[in-house]
Amino acid sequence: MQWIIITSENADEVFKRLEEKGIDPVLWGLTDKDFELLAKNFARIRNQLMVTNNLLDKYKEYYETEDKEDGER
Amino acid sequence: MFGIRLFFIGLIATAIAGGGFYVFKLQKDNAILKANAIKMESAIADQKTLIENQKKDFEEILEANKKMNELVSVLKKDLEDLDKRFNKKNRDVGKLAIAKTKSIERITNGASALATRCIEIASGSPLTEKEINATKKSEINTECPSIANPNYIPY
Repeated sequence: MQWIIITSENADEVFKRLEEKGIDPVLWGLTDKDFELLAKNFARIRNQLMVTNNLLDKYKEYYETEDKEDGER
Repeated sequence: MFGIRLFFIGLIATAIAGGGFYVFKLQKDNAILKANAIKMESAIADQKTLIENQKKDFEEILEANKKMNELVSVLKKDLEDLDKRFNKKNRDVGKLAIAKTKSIERITNGASALATRCIEIASGSPLTEKEINATKKSEINTECPSIANPNYIPY
């Protein structure tokens, strides 16, 4: 994935470059504030993923150790 | 006279038989009590084991909670650092991007690649040698050093 920063000054150049590369001259845009929001939401999702995976690992560790101990008895 | 003697003999014989039966009953009761005592001891031992296991589980849960809270606080720190990158000293990323379009584009793409790697790590991807051995600011994944670079100590 590639981010392209487009301003009123470089817009023509950006679209021209896209056309030269054979890419449709169309972009999905975000304002600077929306980009900040996206970056922070991405980080929050990553953190939540980390916490959930950690929790799953702990459950796995607990139950698999218990199963192993039961098997040894 | 003979009748009285017979009555007493009968009385004594009944008393002896009754005593015998009573002793026999006591022995039987004793055996039941002994069996109950053994069951009780076994139940107490089981309960003790159960309480010990519960205590051990509780300690493990406390330890796991402590580690989880530590993880949550380092992840929170990463998020605060990200906020600083956008807003430190009233920084306006929009204005910066207008002034230095190429530089900010390069920085954004670099950070985006690092953030993608962070998602991979959070999803369970093992750390690379380079990530594990990173100790300098120039070597770390600046998007999520707390999970990508375990040996990095912020300075």
